[in-house]
Amino acid sequence: MSTSTLTERYVHEVVRRLPADQRQDIAQELRATIADTVDGRPGADPRAAEREVLIELGDPVRYAARYTDRPAAFIGPDLYPSYVRLLRPLMAGLLPVVAVVFTVLDLLDGRGVGQALATGAGTLFSFGAQLFAAVTLLYAAADRMRRPRGMLASAAAWSPEDLPEVRQGERTGTAAASLAAAAHVVLIALVFWQHTARPYRLGDGTPVEVLDPALWSGWIWPVLGGLAALAAVGVARVAAGGWTLRLAAWYTAAQALFSLPLAWVLHRQLLLNPEFLADATALWDSPDPVYDGMALLVLLGAAIGVFTAFRDARR
Amino acid sequence: MVSFVAVEELSLSQAQELRRGTVVLACLALLRTPQYGYALLETLNEAGVSVDGNTLYPLLRRLEKQGLLTSEWNTDESRPRKFYRVSPDGSRVRTSLVREWEDLVASISRLTKENG
Repeated sequence: MSTSTLTERYVHEVVRRLPADQRQDIAQELRATIADTVDGRPGADPRAAEREVLIELGDPVRYAARYTDRPAAFIGPDLYPSYVRLLRPLMAGLLPVVAVVFTVLDLLDGRGVGQALATGAGTLFSFGAQLFAAVTLLYAAADRMRRPRGMLASAAAWSPEDLPEVRQGERTGTAAASLAAAAHVVLIALVFWQHTARPYRLGDGTPVEVLDPALWSGWIWPVLGGLAALAAVGVARVAAGGWTLRLAAWYTAAQALFSLPLAWVLHRQLLLNPEFLADATALWDSPDPVYDGMALLVLLGAAIGVFTAFRDARR
Repeated sequence: MVSFVAVEELSLSQAQELRRGTVVLACLALLRTPQYGYALLETLNEAGVSVDGNTLYPLLRRLEKQGLLTSEWNTDESRPRKFYRVSPDGSRVRTSLVREWEDLVASISRLTKENG
């Protein structure tokens, strides 16, 4: 039947957004319902009637959402204000500053105005896109991490005793957590940016990365994943108004993912690009203990962070 | 100042809010005899309980998930249809909803009379 194509397309668009075990059943029912409704309009051209019926059912995305209780938002209303609050200073404050700094650096290096402006515009675009993507993904992750499955169940179990204590200095704690999350995001964006933009120029003008490019086929991924997770936990912590045991556990996992590979990379002296090091001789001459010391500092910082998180969560 | 059209729109959307919960009660009342989605929609609209298909069909699924309705595929006819009917739990919920409804009607009519 040629009239079935539009219905089939509609049904497909609806059920592919539903859990796999319900798809077939709902598809079959929806097909029958659409056909029944079309049949219920005698006299009309069946194709026109089918079209009309589908228009009345409306956008398949929204229709599918009515079957599930899942929130149909990438970043929910709880976190959205804080998302905008973080994004605004990063995009309107930090981003232009970074772009201007790199434009000025190019000028100081004796490159032409055109070249310098191109660098600035490129930084604005690529660093901006990475910053935006990082913050958005971070908040989407935090939104999903914060509440366990089955929001309704947890909402029913809520009692006034769950209200967090009003603590002195809570505002600064929240501010510090926001700042830490922002720093993590900026760090992620910087890592990607130095990979694509190659900001350092050797004596002969060849642009190189600061970090060892070999990391991209290995250790950089757990480090970046850990950073993203740390930032997401930070946002979730701000939203929750402090540490909870659940968040502290997430934080521990994120810290392990970030610190352990980073400490290893530092210890093996695999972090920085050898070409960059050869040029920046002061760093090149750093003895082994400097690297091991940095590795220890990373581990120590992680341990202190995990300890504080659990201590505050149990309070 | 709110324009006349805006008032009209507002009262439409408020009325829709008011009607929302009553669809569940109407379904629980009608589905004492098994019925499939489209036929139920027609019956409801003829009875003056206006509801859209894109509201009713997912609602039936949710009520089934909550255990207030049970369903069965009827394949006797050339077009297989899913028939819903009220479960024992659904009957209990209907009884208490009917009581709630009657109380509401009494309270609201008292209120609107006193203040009208």
